[in-house]
Amino acid sequence: MEPVVSLKRPPIECTSLSPNAPIWQDVLAQAMTGELIAAMNYTSLSEICDDPEEVADALEHAEGEQGHAAAFAAEGRKMGVDVAHNVEALHWKRLREAFLRCIRERDFIGCLIVQEIMLESFAVASYSRVGKVAPGSLGKTFAAIAAEEEEHVAHAMAILREERARNPQRFDAKVYGLHLEVMTTLAKMLAKECKDGHCEVCHESCVKPSLAEVSLSAAELRGASLQQYMRTLDMLGIPGEVTLVWVTQLPV
Amino acid sequence: MGDAVASVGRQGTDFALIGHQESWRAAAEVIAVLRGPERTPLPDDEIKDILPWIPPRTICHVEVASITGANARGLYIDSFIPPDRLDPDYLHENIARVRSAATYAIKAGAKIVSLGGFSSILLEGNFDQLPERHETVFTTGNTLTVGFIVQGIQRMCALEGRSIRRSTLLIVGATGDVGSGCARCLAPVVKRVLLAARNLERLRRFKAELKADGVQVEIATNLQQFSEEADIVICAASLAAPSLLLSRIATDAIVCDAGYPKNLSPTAEMPGAKIFFGGLGQITGGLRFAPDFRGILNRHPFPNVVHGCLLEGMALALEGRFEPFSRGRGFITPQRVEEIEAIAARHGIYLAPLYNAEGPVEDELHCQTEWSRG
Repeated sequence: MEPVVSLKRPPIECTSLSPNAPIWQDVLAQAMTGELIAAMNYTSLSEICDDPEEVADALEHAEGEQGHAAAFAAEGRKMGVDVAHNVEALHWKRLREAFLRCIRERDFIGCLIVQEIMLESFAVASYSRVGKVAPGSLGKTFAAIAAEEEEHVAHAMAILREERARNPQRFDAKVYGLHLEVMTTLAKMLAKECKDGHCEVCHESCVKPSLAEVSLSAAELRGASLQQYMRTLDMLGIPGEVTLVWVTQLPV
Repeated sequence: MGDAVASVGRQGTDFALIGHQESWRAAAEVIAVLRGPERTPLPDDEIKDILPWIPPRTICHVEVASITGANARGLYIDSFIPPDRLDPDYLHENIARVRSAATYAIKAGAKIVSLGGFSSILLEGNFDQLPERHETVFTTGNTLTVGFIVQGIQRMCALEGRSIRRSTLLIVGATGDVGSGCARCLAPVVKRVLLAARNLERLRRFKAELKADGVQVEIATNLQQFSEEADIVICAASLAAPSLLLSRIATDAIVCDAGYPKNLSPTAEMPGAKIFFGGLGQITGGLRFAPDFRGILNRHPFPNVVHGCLLEGMALALEGRFEPFSRGRGFITPQRVEEIEAIAARHGIYLAPLYNAEGPVEDELHCQTEWSRG
């Protein structure tokens, strides 16, 4: 596959590794993979847009996500670690496939739901949590990117709310269908233990058990992500009692 | 997808009940119903990890029927306050949750909202935290709770052949809204009143109020300090968990645990005491939950039993009186209690049969005393 982002690597600047560097390395690898998936998704989206303005918008978003990936890679270099990425990894590949299905069906709204509502909820919530505990520029980068991702969501919300107003029942059914596929995968990814084997992104063993060493936990990242997701669905106007059932039925 | 429930919701919202679960077991049962019978219940550690992140929202629709033939539709909104986070360390977080639940009730168009358990804090002195509310009114529901506690004491005394007039009454949590309301109702009919609370200044002020009415009253911040033993006890303290150990009470004292969460510690040893859970009423006209949360949101050994605080909102909705009946702290009077009891009784809402952790304390068939008829 052609690389979506060129990550030309200047020499690593840091001379001594902090004891937590391997943990941050894996956190950055997950974030960078997510950003690259997002960049690929927006690039794909541009191919099904009819309106030139929408095409430009999607490509601009793709570029933005590539920038985020590059920023994460740069944070790794500052720390003295090489941040790997793997868009073919177990869960990420499934998430990409779900998006590509919407592309094949030329389902612009479905694409927005997957990327902006589901994947971005996860990104905004988890980056915000990481931003609060990560040291120095690493924390600032996560917090800044979380804020930018939130702006994306706000942009898409207007389109999605308008779509829902046309036919709430049909819209909610579409969200539910995508929820079953995408959120189930995300929930497995965010589970406290990886029951489906190695995620193929962490550089050695699973990083989740070590997250406590940097004041994070898999449970917290999952909780914050699902909370953000429910709040985003609230903003769309989907009844909270319905989305509560959806979320409680996800695998743990 | 919950279409059936959503369609019930479109029929209008007379009332909303804001609550939270008092134990992890109760919370786990709520989650199990939401997951549905075909999915395995989540392990306890997962429930404890997930629940704190759930934003307040409706978990079911409630329909209550009056014996007059009227009915009212409402929502049960869970604030999802984790059962182990009711202590003061989480005060601001919990107020934010209740506020968010209140906003949810307003958006749902509820005409009256009852604030159950900890949620009443929003109306007992934190008015500024209430969201802008347009057509929605809020009640703590504490007046009807007081009514059912007092009725319960009277019924238990009748069952045990005790004279209220010759009794010494101890109220734990006496300066709270419920505790002070109980004191005002029962002080005129008992021999002596012992008031226990954490805030000595409030206790002094309340003592002065009751003494001015000719009541024999003693106050203490420590139960050991009272000069005599109580033979009727009302536990109405705001405790984060059941932890109260009663001391200096008569061995055969009548003890009403009216806390939510319960006040009495499971390790409290009072073999001769007649303990019952107070503040509960029973709806005789009919109560329906969609989805079916019967026995989960109201975990009692008798059908259609609900906490008085929540029943107050339902009774007022059935009556068509959408007003903030209970508001603030320390304003519950015997006259207001009589008024709300009369409204509740008009719609077939009476004192529930008495029970405790071991089960019913009386034969249900013999429960229809004068008190239960209101």
